[in-house]
Amino acid sequence: MAHELWTVKYRPRTLSEVIGNEKAKATLLEWAKAWKEGRVPEKKAAFLYGPPGTGKTVTVQALANDLGFDLIETNASDFRTEEQIERLVGPAAFSYSLFGKPKMILFDELDGITGTADAGGLSAIMKLIRRARCPIALIANNPWDPRFRPLREMCLMVEFKRVSSREIMKLLQRICEREGIAADREALAFIAKRADGDVRSAIMDLQAVAQGRKRLTYDDVAWLGMRDRKKEIFRVLGNVFHAESCSRALSATREADVDLDMLFEWIYENVPRAYKDPREVARAMDALSKADIFKGRIIRTQDWGLGRYVTTLMTAGVALAKEHKPGFVRFQFPERIRYLARGKSERELQMAIARAIKRACHVSTREAREKIIPYLRVIFQNNPEMAAGIARWLGLDEEAINFLAADKKKAKQIISIVKGA
Amino acid sequence: MSLMMWTEKYRPRTLDEMVDQEEIVARLKGFVKTKNVPHCLFAGPPGTGKTTAALCLAHDLYGENYHDYIMELNASDERGINVIRETVKTFARSMAIGEVPFKLLILDEADNMTADAQQALRRIMERYTETCRFILIANYSARIIEPIQSRCAPFRFTYLKPEHIAARLKFIAENEGVELLESGVKAILEVSEGDLRKAINTLQAAASLGKPIDEEVVYSVVGRANPAQVREMIELAMSGKFIEARQLLRELIWRYGVAGTDLIRQIHAQIFKMDIPDRWRIRIAEAIGEFDFRLVMGANEEVQLSALLARLAEFGQLMGRGA
Repeated sequence: MAHELWTVKYRPRTLSEVIGNEKAKATLLEWAKAWKEGRVPEKKAAFLYGPPGTGKTVTVQALANDLGFDLIETNASDFRTEEQIERLVGPAAFSYSLFGKPKMILFDELDGITGTADAGGLSAIMKLIRRARCPIALIANNPWDPRFRPLREMCLMVEFKRVSSREIMKLLQRICEREGIAADREALAFIAKRADGDVRSAIMDLQAVAQGRKRLTYDDVAWLGMRDRKKEIFRVLGNVFHAESCSRALSATREADVDLDMLFEWIYENVPRAYKDPREVARAMDALSKADIFKGRIIRTQDWGLGRYVTTLMTAGVALAKEHKPGFVRFQFPERIRYLARGKSERELQMAIARAIKRACHVSTREAREKIIPYLRVIFQNNPEMAAGIARWLGLDEEAINFLAADKKKAKQIISIVKGA
Repeated sequence: MSLMMWTEKYRPRTLDEMVDQEEIVARLKGFVKTKNVPHCLFAGPPGTGKTTAALCLAHDLYGENYHDYIMELNASDERGINVIRETVKTFARSMAIGEVPFKLLILDEADNMTADAQQALRRIMERYTETCRFILIANYSARIIEPIQSRCAPFRFTYLKPEHIAARLKFIAENEGVELLESGVKAILEVSEGDLRKAINTLQAAASLGKPIDEEVVYSVVGRANPAQVREMIELAMSGKFIEARQLLRELIWRYGVAGTDLIRQIHAQIFKMDIPDRWRIRIAEAIGEFDFRLVMGANEEVQLSALLARLAEFGQLMGRGA
């Protein structure tokens, strides 16, 4: 079975085969044993969380296997709505089975439950936990998502940490022995280190480089490093900015395995760093502007075939904008990506204020932003009394007041007046 | 001192309270008398009383509860054809209850509607004339399609006379117990360019400083309300500092939430206020227009606006401004 994934083939069958996270495993064992012995533990559900590939799912599977539970597994791809959850696991959760094995229920990939599409999903799980007569395990990467707060309070929280590269290396060593591969220490150390605590990705990488070989050396694995995102993107950027023909610039992306939208952001960020002459910068930015127009057309028409023009313009268009060969360029991470993550909420806040003004002042939100908010800022920064009156009149909340006052102390003053009246 | 926006507090409630646009007010009073209103097109510059006139007309026509008989829409927020089809149609076709046999739909910034939406609107205006009359408000009547114009009684609002604005400002200042000096009045007139709303907003913001309002106070308020950032951004670009200019652009978009279309309009306005030779202004304006167009076509405002900044940097170099 050469095509079998090693992550499946070498999946742990018992708890002792799961590497790392000794403390978490012990906690869970104790919790499950209580159920097994007929004592319902204080927390009926266990919430396993941590980065991908640290063994959360396999731990639950091995635990069920060791203690003789019948594991009912669901993940994001199959449970969605309250109704579906009830149908899927309800019978197992609420009935004692007189015959056969006791049940354990696993909700995997909780991060994938969304608020809108999976209406009632999370609350259905909570209801289930309250009434359940069997152990329930939940798994998510990020348990601190506000949506999970009520869930967290009713669960035994069990953290899974990144597995040490030493542990991972020992596992890789065992797999190589079973596969009959003589592997150099350095080669395995390299893979283990690169995995950054993610056991699954380490096994995947090992299979990619080692399957079918008798020997594995450091040179065989070094090319994995090329897949490192940042290095790869720097190489592509270098090729684009230094290319002197269309075909060179285009092949820079073809050879590479990088996301084209991300590459666009990198090129856009670094054009003025690679080129110095304003004419070159203007021509390169013009090419990006045209590429962006094709992106707009793709959005409107959903004709993804237009993507090739985006690629041509953003690579060849940018490459041929120059007259001088650029020297060494210190590439920078796209600021826009950072701004996007931060700035959105302020923008939304401003829109909310504009909508309040629109209702009160018979103007459009655009006019509100352009012609009224600037004056409100002046008032909110200078006159708490007047600001408080206007805030009350417009029905602005504290967030909006903070935004307009742009100063915590001033905002506090205004808010206390609003509340006092 | 009053605790709401003065533009609203001092907005005339009835046609009698409107002191400007005498001819228009007289015609509107005629409509009230006969209890009949044709479809109307109010065209004119901002802050000259178009929306106020529409609201006053509604008040005089229907009385204190006029809100029950009108619908106010702003086309720049709801410019899509769907709004016209759904919202407007639903409102227009239901019967009015009361003395006046029709309702009033006030459509502000109608010149921002797409041509398709205007065509749809035209049908609805025709079909539901019995139950609903339309008041279209626009800065530029030329942007309203011909068939709609021909169905509307035209009203041209003109810039308010400086002495009228000055009288209004003094009245408000006195009422609010604010000391407004003559140099302050002059400064407000200067910066508000015949736009009464802008004048009153400037007055209120100036009053918030708690000092007698003179020229200096007015200009400091205007300076704060209109951050020099757009101008600074253009100047950075033109002196060859593209990276810094783009950084400012990002601040404006992502921190202050300024919309791309607003920014490009401000850039255009600035070009004519800055010290740039006229023949260059024309070329630059043309480039701005091109990117205004691309802004609509593209996917990402920031990319388009930075491409414009790069063009400005190139212009700066050609003009010998560069560092």
